[in-house]
Amino acid sequence: MNVADKILYDAVLSAVPIMLAVLGGMFAHRANVLNIALEGMMLLGSFFTCLFTISTGSYALALLLAIVISVTAGLVFSFFGITLKGNVIIVGLAINLFASAITAFMLQVMGKAELIAHGHVVANLRLHIPFIDDVPILGSIVSGHTALTYASYLAILLMWILMYRTRFGVYVRVVGESEEAARAVGIKTTAVKYGAVAIGAIACAFAGASLAMDDLGGIFTKDMTAGRGFIAIAAIFCGRGKPGPSALYAVAFGLARSLALNLSIYAGSAARLFNAVPYVIIVAVLLVASIVKYRNSRQRGFLNE
Amino acid sequence: MSARAVRRGLVGHRLEGVLVNSIAPVLGAFLVGAIVIAAVGENPLSTYGRMIARSLFDPDGLLRTLHVAGPLILTGLAIAITFKANIFNMGVEGQALLGGFFAGIVGAQLPDLAPAVHVSLCLLVGVGCGVAFALVPAILKAFFHVNEMVVTLMLNYAAAEALTFLSEGVFRDKAAGYVATPMIRDSAMFLKLSGGDLTGFFFIAVAVFLAILFVVRRGRLGYEIEAIGKNIEFAEAAGMRVRRKILVIMVLSGAISGLAGAGWMLSERFRYTLAFSGSPGLGWDGMLISLLGAHDPIGVVVAALFYSALKVGMSKIELFTEVPREIVSVIQGLMILFLSVRYLARGTSLRDLLRRRVG
Repeated sequence: MNVADKILYDAVLSAVPIMLAVLGGMFAHRANVLNIALEGMMLLGSFFTCLFTISTGSYALALLLAIVISVTAGLVFSFFGITLKGNVIIVGLAINLFASAITAFMLQVMGKAELIAHGHVVANLRLHIPFIDDVPILGSIVSGHTALTYASYLAILLMWILMYRTRFGVYVRVVGESEEAARAVGIKTTAVKYGAVAIGAIACAFAGASLAMDDLGGIFTKDMTAGRGFIAIAAIFCGRGKPGPSALYAVAFGLARSLALNLSIYAGSAARLFNAVPYVIIVAVLLVASIVKYRNSRQRGFLNE
Repeated sequence: MSARAVRRGLVGHRLEGVLVNSIAPVLGAFLVGAIVIAAVGENPLSTYGRMIARSLFDPDGLLRTLHVAGPLILTGLAIAITFKANIFNMGVEGQALLGGFFAGIVGAQLPDLAPAVHVSLCLLVGVGCGVAFALVPAILKAFFHVNEMVVTLMLNYAAAEALTFLSEGVFRDKAAGYVATPMIRDSAMFLKLSGGDLTGFFFIAVAVFLAILFVVRRGRLGYEIEAIGKNIEFAEAAGMRVRRKILVIMVLSGAISGLAGAGWMLSERFRYTLAFSGSPGLGWDGMLISLLGAHDPIGVVVAALFYSALKVGMSKIELFTEVPREIVSVIQGLMILFLSVRYLARGTSLRDLLRRRVG
């Protein structure tokens, strides 16, 4: 595989955790709940998938347990942020800190610097698509990923259907547009918001699993999500919570990650600056969006937000 | 009702407010922390007991507690003044990192100077870096209506990546076996006072606290912060130049954050490493402290001392128990979670709350 192919193959792979977090997280975004706990839930997903794969020997069971734990974190987030009406940013931050601390704590208690699932061999999980595999460039980029990777790209369509073609999706968008109106027509807004956050939690558990089990081949290291949850939030904001555009940003940010990873051989640590790209892009996109939005409006006085 | 009765009622409510909104969440966090400690087979009570003994009732420990509290007081204040105005500067961590990094560069690269001059220069550079970072979200918010929370959160990561790049590349100390910038010169270091860890930086932090206290309690800015925090549209309608005030508040916050990072560099770390700010970091600690102190300057100082004692106590008892020091971060996460909710609104009492829940 030459460098360009490697970069693109890695981009497809690096985009997966971000994409899953984006596709799950956009529901909370559309329901007008700013969920920055994606990062922490993803970390819990990574840690517990890896831990339970080691202890139970079953990857599938481990995934299931990781989902349960991630959803529990989501419920805690919802309880404090939605039911008790705490500041959701601060609640999210608390979940992130707690996830980072409790995983580090457990690593220390086990006396390990990292978790390694020896029985987990990624190569066995990689699927080679019959015909595409033989196409020169395309084959080496698109073929040879795990089922989870393909599923997460399929999830774009799935989540689009959930958002635009189901009752739940309509409710989420109505709640986000106007909570009072939603309540007036009898929608249980709190339940809808809980549901939106829970979808994000499930997706983040998969995202964490992809990171630990596919990308690193069965290894958990401390704070390994390294801001991917925030990159997902950036992608959601840039794509305005729409499945297609948000996923596109996720792929773009995946490419940035891949460039940072692969170009470091040539450019040294300067390649690391690609990691900062998503954060700078979101600021630029928010600025442009805001300028466009207020360009033709004349608002007297100061407008908050 | 006589004036005295009203006042007594208010004081009573305030005390109840502190109890329910600040002390109960802390106790709750320690309770869950105790369960975690018990789960690893250690005695929570003796662990907590040792912690307090080591950080408060031991001369070295006490000096260290004060020393660690210095930057925490500053980051706590930096967050408190913005939160009070309902502006959310989540970038305190990034501002402290930038301030610390470039204070360290100036401390290492300039030739030996008179200590007072060198230290002041480094602190000024730190303050400048914090201000530069804070200006970005401030301008975006004041003039383009961009949400400052998202911008500051994201710029933290951008700043951290950029600093890692700089410390791995241009400014790397080749002699060090790990990623670090060169050690700052002796003339840029704060001197340790009286044998312990305490340095002059703590007193700078206290001076900043007194200045902020004066400004908030007696100055016009304090009133304006309060007004903007309560209702920004009304403040604007009443003739306050809200845009300019947002800039002032954010710049002040950024300056204090930068100072915190610079001081931490000159009094404790002496070189920038990837663990410069600690885990989870000075800025995030500051957020907990500000929440704990109900965004009030005096509350912030009390909370900073408390939290510093917790950190110092834990790092010291690690030698004696099997409980990893990460327990502090666990408890911190829980505290922030429990503190995120205002259980008791201003003007209501515990009885009202209970009655509402029951009835």
